[in-house]
Amino acid sequence: MPDGSFSHPQERQFNPYTENGGTILAIAGADFSVVAGDTRQSEGYSIQTRYAPKVHKLTDRAVLAVNGFAADGNMFVKKVKQRLEWYRHAHAKDMPLRAIARLIQTMLYGQRFFPYYVYNILGGIEEDGTGAIYSFDPVGSYERETCRAAGAAMALVQPFLDNQIYFKNQQAPADSPHPVHLPLQDVLSIVIDSFTSATERHIEVGDGLEIYVILAKGRSAQGLESIRNVQEMSTNPEGDRVFVIRRELKKD
Amino acid sequence: MDHFPTSWGRPRNDAVDNFNTYPLHQRAQHGKDTFAEGVQRTQQPIVTGTSVLAIKYKDGIMMAADTLASYGSLARFKSVQRLHAVGRTTVLGASGDMSDFQYLQGMLDELVTDEFTAGDGNEFAPQEVHEYLARVMYARRSKMNPLWNALLVGGVRDGKSFLGYVDLLGTTYQASTLATGYGAHIALPLLRQAVETREDTLAEEEAKRVLTESMRVLFYRDARSLNKFQIAKVTETGVDISEPIVLDTHWSFAEGIRGYGAQTQ
Amino acid sequence: MSIMQHNGGSVIAMVGKDCVAIASDLRLGVQSLSITSDFEKIFPVTDRLFVGLPGLATDVTTLREQFRYRVNMYTIKEEREIEPQTFAQLVSSTLYERRFGPYFIEPVMAGMQKTPAGGYAPFIAATDLIGCLNFAKDFVVAGTASEKLFGVAEGLWEPDLEAEDLFETISQTLLNALDRDAFSGWGAVVHVITKDKVITRKLKGRMD
Repeated sequence: MPDGSFSHPQERQFNPYTENGGTILAIAGADFSVVAGDTRQSEGYSIQTRYAPKVHKLTDRAVLAVNGFAADGNMFVKKVKQRLEWYRHAHAKDMPLRAIARLIQTMLYGQRFFPYYVYNILGGIEEDGTGAIYSFDPVGSYERETCRAAGAAMALVQPFLDNQIYFKNQQAPADSPHPVHLPLQDVLSIVIDSFTSATERHIEVGDGLEIYVILAKGRSAQGLESIRNVQEMSTNPEGDRVFVIRRELKKD
Repeated sequence: MDHFPTSWGRPRNDAVDNFNTYPLHQRAQHGKDTFAEGVQRTQQPIVTGTSVLAIKYKDGIMMAADTLASYGSLARFKSVQRLHAVGRTTVLGASGDMSDFQYLQGMLDELVTDEFTAGDGNEFAPQEVHEYLARVMYARRSKMNPLWNALLVGGVRDGKSFLGYVDLLGTTYQASTLATGYGAHIALPLLRQAVETREDTLAEEEAKRVLTESMRVLFYRDARSLNKFQIAKVTETGVDISEPIVLDTHWSFAEGIRGYGAQTQ
Repeated sequence: MSIMQHNGGSVIAMVGKDCVAIASDLRLGVQSLSITSDFEKIFPVTDRLFVGLPGLATDVTTLREQFRYRVNMYTIKEEREIEPQTFAQLVSSTLYERRFGPYFIEPVMAGMQKTPAGGYAPFIAATDLIGCLNFAKDFVVAGTASEKLFGVAEGLWEPDLEAEDLFETISQTLLNALDRDAFSGWGAVVHVITKDKVITRKLKGRMD
């Protein structure tokens, strides 16, 4: 090189990973699940786009949120969707949620030595009609939970959720114990508050918010009627139903 | 005994005893390139192009890139086209390694030709070209052998305009204004201010002016840029890549700024 | 691991209506080994001003003594108590003296500031380890759980909380943030400061 860089060679290795910011979160109710994510995609201090969806509808009762390295995330979602399509062709039905969870763990662990650099949260309705959330680490460790935050603002959101969803550090009055599951309306308020807080204090969070709501078969849309910007995504209004709520977040 | 059927019936190798159970012999490696040790991978870009800019406007999309291909800090090739038409709906703009870009050009030309030869009248939509490039780029990064580029793909199909980004990591995104490299820091704020919320009303002349002014700003601040650039326009009627445009520049202001112009004392 | 995380510990301060609160955990550890659960890192400066010193434990002691000395000298020379605003500047300049070999402490201050009208106004401030001041109008946080504290506080805090409500808010914020931080916890202490009294309460927290 004319700049003489060959005379004292530098050790430089191609880094196949980057971080693209953003945050995702999911909460399970008794007969519904909520999966949400912001829509900002960034690299370093640059905002690449204000709308890059991180939450993906897989089936009429399963939604997957993916956060971390966006290229890996998109490829992973693509492969999961392909496996679900193959399952549909083979079995003439959608894969159950717990099976999708195990599929995701297997697919992630399959890349144990060159991992997908992504945190996954799977939300939806279990075969018994209960709301369920599964959260994964990049190499496939997973667990069914009631609520989980992941991504850039995980440290900001998760303790808030512990407090508001699990009622951690709150003593219930003797005559009225804490509810095991919150109503949909309360959950949506907590999700929106979590993201406005995260947007306020974390530079990689903002622009837009997409909240997917999955309702168990036969459950009314109660809790959604007062919400603006709701769009139904389900193919069969008689079965489990999927809705998406779109909101603006601060863009600075 | 070698229990791997793929190893059976091959020429014998006296250096190893295939019928011994211990110590376990080294299995012959089939299908490995004899000169594998000598194969090199792109660990850094060599001849590079700087920023590419792109915006949406009323009739479609516009893209701009200068014609310089640098060799380190040397302005090596001053008349290289970095905008490439893919079929009649799409334009591809490349920054980063120019040899990798030319490889991609060849690949896409072949693809377009194959599709044309099929004779079914199908043409690739810009979305499809973008998706294809994303797969190629991601596959190469996954082999730890990347194509060292940041690419912009733009086009119009069925009245819908499309702008997408792909880079050497396989990272993708879409937006109404895009820029690579230095352009993402210097020009993108100008493009966003001019274009966002006006994608469907912005006139061709205005779009061209915005890109030209952004290229001018980039030329003044990006040391690896040139005041000669091309603008590609994609509308419903097809791709149009302009002849090189040369900007006249004024450096008299620099005289008064210490550390910028030539200092007399 | 950074030296800032060596001993662990976190502090938060919040503004309420005619009151302020400052709270911290009680853990002292060495890396992931917990040593004691009674290591207080918030100290009174005057009757209406407290300073919290999360960071390297040895510097907690050093800086506490340093501030005590300098506040005493100020009181003798000026023949009056130091005001929170003034103390914040003292903290800042004390830390900046060591710009290129800093104390590994990020102080948090909370107190009631005398107003020209003769009343008292809530005052909180925090600095980084080299004395860059941050006068926030809502809350300030520092220590190993600072990110978590930011998240919970941003969700729970609201303007004009009465003293008892402020106590509940700061306690919940601290406790829930501590439970997600491996380096802070093992109990907590909260001081709620009004113009005429300070209420100090110890909180029981998770001991894991």
